[in-house]
Amino acid sequence: MTKTNITWIEGTIVENEIHMSIVELSQAASTSEELIMAWVTEGVLSPTGSSPQDWRFGGDSLSRTKTAVRLSRDLEINTPGLALALQLLDQISDLRAQLVRIGNSSKD
Amino acid sequence: MKFKDYYETLGVARGATEADIKSAYRKLARKYHPDVNTEKDAEERFKEVGEAYAVLKDTEKRAAYDQMGSNWKSGQDFTPPPNWNEGFEFSDGGFGGGAYEGDQSEFFESLFGRGKHRQGGRGGHSRQDQGMHFKGQDHHAKILIDLADAYNGAKRTIALHMPTLDASGHVTTQERKLDVSIPKGIKAGQNLRLSGQGGPGMGEGGAGDLYLEIDFHPNPLYRVDGKDIYLDLPLAPWEAALGTTVKVPTPAGTTLELTIPANTIAGRKMRLKGKGIPSKEPGDLYVITMIATPPADTDAQKEAYQAFGKAFEFNPRTHLKG
Repeated sequence: MTKTNITWIEGTIVENEIHMSIVELSQAASTSEELIMAWVTEGVLSPTGSSPQDWRFGGDSLSRTKTAVRLSRDLEINTPGLALALQLLDQISDLRAQLVRIGNSSKD
Repeated sequence: MKFKDYYETLGVARGATEADIKSAYRKLARKYHPDVNTEKDAEERFKEVGEAYAVLKDTEKRAAYDQMGSNWKSGQDFTPPPNWNEGFEFSDGGFGGGAYEGDQSEFFESLFGRGKHRQGGRGGHSRQDQGMHFKGQDHHAKILIDLADAYNGAKRTIALHMPTLDASGHVTTQERKLDVSIPKGIKAGQNLRLSGQGGPGMGEGGAGDLYLEIDFHPNPLYRVDGKDIYLDLPLAPWEAALGTTVKVPTPAGTTLELTIPANTIAGRKMRLKGKGIPSKEPGDLYVITMIATPPADTDAQKEAYQAFGKAFEFNPRTHLKG
């Protein structure tokens, strides 16, 4: 295949290099700033900074917020329930990582 | 087009009460939610369940659906009868709506039409918003890359499928090709932000961004935990006992020489520091030793095993008092 003059789009790794304001996070995760504030109060998200205007969300907040948006919308769970669900999902993902480390992955 | 039996999808009887339908839906939605269920078909099932619920929870839609009769079977070829919905009044200003806009099946759309198409901007700005400026919507997509791409970086042309409305209001899927540079060091679960590659903006608002969520193609050799990589390394019993040097392939495509010390046991974890996924603080490559025993098929091989047994006073089951 001969390809010439392709401009390769350079991206930015969100988790490593990006800190988002509440406005950017709500745009990127398609949710309201009010919900994000409620989730910060509940401890689902932990930005740095003291007031909503100063909040900076680390890059890994994006996928967490997206999961929170889907779970709260699709299963109509309230904020405390959501916080619990995310905590349990974190535990499951830690356990899966442990399975990877001990090599118990589908070796039949 | 195939008929869809929404009652069967939710596992309820045709006479089920609203409460039965809601509880059946909730149970299945939790079971198949793609954030909870990692099975391959979970997302598909979740959408089917959502579509069934969107019809059956709505008194008007359910009544219209019911009057097509109960003789239809799931998967049967189906065309909506002419004027099938005559005499039904839908309070939501026509059909459509519901939580699963844009994801409905052809069957759903033929009966209830399409949900309101989400506009490029947020919150459905209309034309009188002249002079308003909004950044375009951010888009999201998942892509699969090879583990080697994360080690070496890569240039990849990816095809994304975007549902769009054609002139007559039908949904068609448009393929969009993007030439993307995959940065070295990216990990599964991370998002790559491509600025300005999302939905078009409004007025002087710029285009939205495109977020690509990265995952790795399953790899037959390596297991991945964040930036650390795990590789099982089989050794012959004599290699493990006497020590040896073996060649270990890395996901980057290179080969490393690894010294196996004498009397290495199975399950030993050897760390190759910094040979995991590269970054400022690179991950590690862990090699887990395994002992592979060759089968004794020929007489010579059986004799070799017997000689082996005689040379050792070895009982591996002393702890079982056997």
